[in-house]
Amino acid sequence: MSRNDPHNHSNWLVQAKNLLDESAGGLDAATLSRLNRARQAALDQRRPTRRWALPAGLVSACVLLLVLFTYLPRDGAAPDSQVTKNAAGDLDLVSSDDSLEFYQDLEFYAWLEAQDQDLGS
Amino acid sequence: MTISTHTIPVSPSFSWTDQHVNAQTTTDERALEQFLKHVERRALRMAELATAQRDEALDLVQDAMFGFVRHYAAKPATEWAPLFYRVLDSRLNDWHRRRQVRTRWLAVFTRSADDEEEGDEIAQAPDLNEPGPLLRLSGSEAARDLEDALRRLPSRQRQAFLLRVWEGLDVAETARAMGCSEGSVKTHLSRALHALRTALEDHA
Repeated sequence: MSRNDPHNHSNWLVQAKNLLDESAGGLDAATLSRLNRARQAALDQRRPTRRWALPAGLVSACVLLLVLFTYLPRDGAAPDSQVTKNAAGDLDLVSSDDSLEFYQDLEFYAWLEAQDQDLGS
Repeated sequence: MTISTHTIPVSPSFSWTDQHVNAQTTTDERALEQFLKHVERRALRMAELATAQRDEALDLVQDAMFGFVRHYAAKPATEWAPLFYRVLDSRLNDWHRRRQVRTRWLAVFTRSADDEEEGDEIAQAPDLNEPGPLLRLSGSEAARDLEDALRRLPSRQRQAFLLRVWEGLDVAETARAMGCSEGSVKTHLSRALHALRTALEDHA
């Protein structure tokens, strides 16, 4: 066959194409997996974002928290009401604008008031 | 130079526009996925022939997919193939430009260093004797020689050959994909055929 023979020309091109097809068809699994991921990532650009997903998630989280606080038993003992009351009183003392000396003499004022009441009666 | 008038044997099974797209243009996501699935392997091999690196080729194909979907997915499906390869061509050109800049800088910094091989383009060139997928698959010298010959081709000639002969694009589509005139496509292809024919004469 001569070099300029069109039939010969076509033959080697077909052979070349077949060889290239083989190379593309025989890619390993890891490469195919990466191609698949790349394709999906590219297509994700067109997929509509789920705008309802965020509000739905927030609502679900709120419901879950409500259920947890409402129905789950508390592990620890209930806080002592007296302790809570004293703590609140202490907080009042610290946050008050009144002089601390006034509170230190509070017992004396209470005794004095009791004396006055006894004298009055 | 004379332009080859031989008929290029293009298998219709590789023409996306002929086989997979009907006259009614569809931008359906499934059609888009099918198209990408159809071209991704050959696109990877084309990129690999241009870069001689599998990882780089995969990154470039991924970039091309992103760019194509972002900018051209809404176009008629009959135009997808040339547009996709246009994006891939652009990415490959960018890659070559970056590589050239890097090579120049490396040459500047390594000139004063002892190791002169790092700036040596021949030393940095891909090893053409390294067995690629063609050889691993077919185990034939013809496959390896074809791959080597394709890698040695100037990029425009290689691209014209692969798009026209392998991907099955017609001259106008190839011109669109390459961003040049139809006459340039014919010239590049003719030169590619001549060079390949010479290189592969033993196997023709």
